[in-house]
Amino acid sequence: MIMPVLTIDDRRIEVEQGATILDAAARLGIRIPTLCHRQGLEPWASCMVCVVSVRGPDGNSRLVPSCASRAEEGMIVETDTEDVRRARRLAVELLLSDHLGDCIAPCQQACPARMDIPRMIRSIRSGDFTAAVETVREAIPLPGVLGRICSAPCEKACRRGRYDSPLSILLLKRFVADADLASASPYAPPAAPSLGRKVAVVGSGPAGLSAAYYLLKAGAAVAVFDGNDLPGGMLRYGVPEDRLPRDVLAAETDVIRRMGCDFRMRLRLGSDLSLDELRADYDAVFLALGETVPSAGIPDGLETDEHGIRVDRKTFQTGIDGVFAGGDCVRPIRMAVHSVAQGRTAAFSIVNYLAGGCPAGRHTPFSTHIGRLLEGEIDNFLLEGDPRERVLPAGGASAGLSRDEAVSESARCLHCDCRRQDDCRLRSLAEETGAKGRLYRYSLGEGVPERRVFRQDASHPDVIYEPGKCIACGICVRIAEKALERFGLAFVGRGFDVQVRGALDRSMRDALEKTAGECADACPTGAIVLRSPVPAPRHRDSSER
Amino acid sequence: MTGENIDVTAVERIVAETGRTQDALVPLLQAVQEEYGYLPREALEHIAKITGIPPAAITGVATFYDEFRHKPIGRHVISVCHGTACHVKGAPVLSESLAGYLKIPEGEDTDPSGLFTIRKVGCLGCCSLAPVAQIDDVIYGHLTPEKLPSVLQDFLAQADAISVQRSGDVIPQGRAGEVRICLDSCCVARGTERVHQALLRAISETGARVVVKRVGCVIVCNETPLLEVLVPGEAPYLYARVRPEDVKAIILRHFRPTGVRRVIGSAVSRTLDAILTDEAWEPVTRYSITARDPQVAAVLDPQKHIATEDYGCADPTDLQEYVAAGGFTAFENSVTHSQPSEVIEEIMASGLRGRGGAGFPTGRKWAGVAAAASGVKYVVCNGDEGDPGAFMDRMLLESFPYRVIEGMAIAAFTVGARRSYIYIRSEYPFAVKRVREALERCRSAGFLGDNIFGSGMCLDISVMKGAGAFVCGEETALLASIEGRRSTPRVRPPYPSESGLWGRPTLVNNVETLAVVPWILRNGAAAFRRLGTPGSSGTKVFALAGKTVRGGLIEVPMGITVDKIVNDIGGGIAGGRVFKAVLIGGPSGGCLPAGLADTVIDYDALSEAGAIMGSGGLVVLDDSDCMVDIARYFLEFTQNQSCGKCTFCRIGTRQMLDILTRLCSGEGRSGDLEKLEDLARMVSAGSLCGLGKTAPTPVLSTLRYFRGEYEAHLEGRCPAGRCKALVTYSITDDCIGCTRCAQHCPADAIEMKPYEKHEIDAARCIRCGTCLSVCAFNAVKVE
Repeated sequence: MIMPVLTIDDRRIEVEQGATILDAAARLGIRIPTLCHRQGLEPWASCMVCVVSVRGPDGNSRLVPSCASRAEEGMIVETDTEDVRRARRLAVELLLSDHLGDCIAPCQQACPARMDIPRMIRSIRSGDFTAAVETVREAIPLPGVLGRICSAPCEKACRRGRYDSPLSILLLKRFVADADLASASPYAPPAAPSLGRKVAVVGSGPAGLSAAYYLLKAGAAVAVFDGNDLPGGMLRYGVPEDRLPRDVLAAETDVIRRMGCDFRMRLRLGSDLSLDELRADYDAVFLALGETVPSAGIPDGLETDEHGIRVDRKTFQTGIDGVFAGGDCVRPIRMAVHSVAQGRTAAFSIVNYLAGGCPAGRHTPFSTHIGRLLEGEIDNFLLEGDPRERVLPAGGASAGLSRDEAVSESARCLHCDCRRQDDCRLRSLAEETGAKGRLYRYSLGEGVPERRVFRQDASHPDVIYEPGKCIACGICVRIAEKALERFGLAFVGRGFDVQVRGALDRSMRDALEKTAGECADACPTGAIVLRSPVPAPRHRDSSER
Repeated sequence: MTGENIDVTAVERIVAETGRTQDALVPLLQAVQEEYGYLPREALEHIAKITGIPPAAITGVATFYDEFRHKPIGRHVISVCHGTACHVKGAPVLSESLAGYLKIPEGEDTDPSGLFTIRKVGCLGCCSLAPVAQIDDVIYGHLTPEKLPSVLQDFLAQADAISVQRSGDVIPQGRAGEVRICLDSCCVARGTERVHQALLRAISETGARVVVKRVGCVIVCNETPLLEVLVPGEAPYLYARVRPEDVKAIILRHFRPTGVRRVIGSAVSRTLDAILTDEAWEPVTRYSITARDPQVAAVLDPQKHIATEDYGCADPTDLQEYVAAGGFTAFENSVTHSQPSEVIEEIMASGLRGRGGAGFPTGRKWAGVAAAASGVKYVVCNGDEGDPGAFMDRMLLESFPYRVIEGMAIAAFTVGARRSYIYIRSEYPFAVKRVREALERCRSAGFLGDNIFGSGMCLDISVMKGAGAFVCGEETALLASIEGRRSTPRVRPPYPSESGLWGRPTLVNNVETLAVVPWILRNGAAAFRRLGTPGSSGTKVFALAGKTVRGGLIEVPMGITVDKIVNDIGGGIAGGRVFKAVLIGGPSGGCLPAGLADTVIDYDALSEAGAIMGSGGLVVLDDSDCMVDIARYFLEFTQNQSCGKCTFCRIGTRQMLDILTRLCSGEGRSGDLEKLEDLARMVSAGSLCGLGKTAPTPVLSTLRYFRGEYEAHLEGRCPAGRCKALVTYSITDDCIGCTRCAQHCPADAIEMKPYEKHEIDAARCIRCGTCLSVCAFNAVKVE
């Protein structure tokens, strides 16, 4: 038997008869992305993200799906040409245009600090409050404070609000924070190994405290300078005490102090210290000066705009090397959660700056969104949520939720976020190819739905099926067929309307008697997915790069 | 699906008759639907239970093909043709009016009383009668929205009276002469059957000594019903557009009976006497044309008939006649005197290329299958003609079934196949029936079966009836369909010549390709090669439709110019309008603007111009046609017919359609043209099969030649005044309040106000143009 020899990206490889281009590339260590391909199943060639360019004898190149194209003698294959990249990106964009789901839940999407609210709620539901506080503190270093004063844009976005009333996210967060602070050893994140660098933070309001917290967590040494007697900035000197008891603020500041923060109080920038001195003594400076009258209180040499200090919107870097700024001195939004978010983002940017000199902002991962719901569609989301109405704290709003109340309220969550958001192959390909999620959207005029209707099939004890997320790759159909399922899954319909459903109208429960787990494992998106009663372990900082 | 209880014993019978294996699945479902009118879920469950065919396969196949229904059907089915010719002549408005008239709820296809179900069909193959609709077995042509009520009434009143009968000739003995009548779908649609009945009646009443002969397509479809009268010693007379009431007069004119017996015996003696006067001839001769009439001569002269040899004079069902005319000699000579390699050499030397569209050299394909090492091989004849504006294959199968069978038999001998399939699309029930009958006669005559011509060769051919899926035209999808699976294409190679049906080497050829094979072998490769151009030898059959004076099937030598087809054969543009473009190759093809009419019919010349040879659809457009609308129409077709497997075709064509729909409704956005062009190129480059690869061609070629029209749509103008959303109808002060428009409006958009100026409710108006055509006072304005 002749072994065909071909060239892939200018490298020669000999493969066995019948091998595909994808096999041959794998042998050379050349990675080609796939979605509909699965080892052990016949190639299907539907997603087309594995296209490569094959140069024919006439010199013209054509695109072929490498998963199903046979490696042939003398073939010249290129896996990374401009045409290939464009085709892959378009294939992903087209799939995304017909992929209905929220990678990230609307509440998290609305949160300026991008806190993983659904995960916190699921931890509460399972009684794992430590996990809950860990999740909260990933994004919000002052949860007791914000659990009281945040304007809670998350609750306005909460999908449950379309049905009865939104989850009590604010009170849940407060419950988590209060329970933690009341415990013997309140949670403090494990610090990374020391970076051997020093950062000066000017201002101890929400932006400054937040930056300090994440800089310390990343291993930097931090000194916080403030003209006042006690840390907290506007939180201490602007917010009335009945809204924010000062002991809560003090307890959360203490967490930061315990992490190693050096609070240098009663030192005012301008009169007591200068920016140049700080620049000389520290490797980086973060200015969190609070709301300033334009051009008053802003150190000389810093560019300003109509709002305040002019910064790069992604990195929060000012015009001066090594000097960063955030919070209301950049733009007076007067929303603590925004300041906290900016302080965190600036901290990442500063850490990047310290590491390589090139500050890169926080990366916002690619996400798809359902957006506004269609008429009556909310009913299809209710499978997961406890139908009972919102739990109101028995002790009144100032008392917060009790443990039982918190657990009970958490059961109302609809789990809008995708169960595969961390290992969805479509999502990571969107990142990899630079696809734009909203480039292709439907609008065929009035009366024509612009997208699929959200549905869930929760009939199966192990898996949930969301047809809107299905990209018709057919992996599950082929798995069920191969395993000789009694009913199995079928492609129903044709063309754009094709759907994967249980054969002979069977539910998922009957369709997948043997292979539900395998199908969920193999599904390249979150269409068929294992139920998640307890949050699966998630690697840290999944939202960061 | 409904939950009503059905009696499944019929399913048991059907399974016993049809088979239990997956390759019987499509015929099984067809038979079940025949029985119940749809596919009841209980029946599908029962099939799964008693056959062991996997439920997933049953669901997959039952929901893939257009033909299969999952809801009960109305008592009568109205199939509204949405083929290209019907589209340009107003099918969309017709469908909309019909649904409105029958008060069919949005999203449904059956009226509340369950009397009528409306279906959209790809093409009924009666393009010369466009727009057409078929109600049960009866085809109504040249429909307009205002004709619909009377058509439905006519149908209900005469449902029994005009049921079509296609057999039962009673021919008087003795050959005094011959009357030939075409009984193909087109002609039957046009009322030939009624003419035929009138003819038989006339002969029995007059006692004329004349043989009536049914012939295949006469290729002047828009002049039908056609009668050809052969009087011994005289040149043939051809009568066009014959009405049943004319027939007796025609018979009496040419076969005047002796004596007065016929006058006495006639039930209509008074009418007859009147007809026999000189004046009474007038209505008949008015329609008469002879073969030397310059018009018809122009239609026929530039043509060259190979696939359609003996058109109009051969009885398509008469095997003896086919044999007498040299039929099956090529097959016999090959089997008894040639080696397969010699046949392949001859086919190669002829330069024959596949007539299905892509133009792959036929000889090379045959050689590939012949060389494949396998004890079992198949030949498949691809008769899944899906181009919604073409009916070449239907005509060849209906009119020349033996020629196609002989071509297949020669191919089977050459490649070494013992079993072969003719795949015929479901919309051609008459072709299925005729080919099945022809196969049976060939078996009886020994042209098929065991030990053919005593050579030891065995061959059987069976018919596989499609179930409605354009993608089956793609060969790997076609083979999946024969195997009883969803017709989704797969990556080639391996080509079917290496691994086809059930993994065996399989030769897949188009109907027309196979139909010319016997001619090549009888007349020699050189004779074939003398026709056409160096790169494209022989002839090509086209379905000429659209805005020409004449339409129908034509067979022309390769190398003829488009201009000659449009102006000489087609007789130029009808209605004093201006020739704008031709569309060649249907939904996979492109357009050629009038300025390029000197382009010749040649695979390479056409593809250089951005069109393709295609399978033979040729639609002529005039200045009232909108190129954006045409591109949208074709894309809507291919998008709807996409199998849904690969991303580029499934979603990409939908995105393209989205943009085109926006443009046609005046909602185009800046950047739409660039996005459309970019998508078109990528869908073409990236799609898995020919359907997806060629679906963007109409868009790309209209963008190439008519970009200005696209830009006009972006600005909210349709230069041709075709795009509904971009035109408005209004009534001017010339209105005298006659209420005619209000009476005829199918959308109730005009309130009846006698003796007052009427008004059109723009929100209700469907821009069907009925008011414009019925107004006697020129009071309807279109802007």
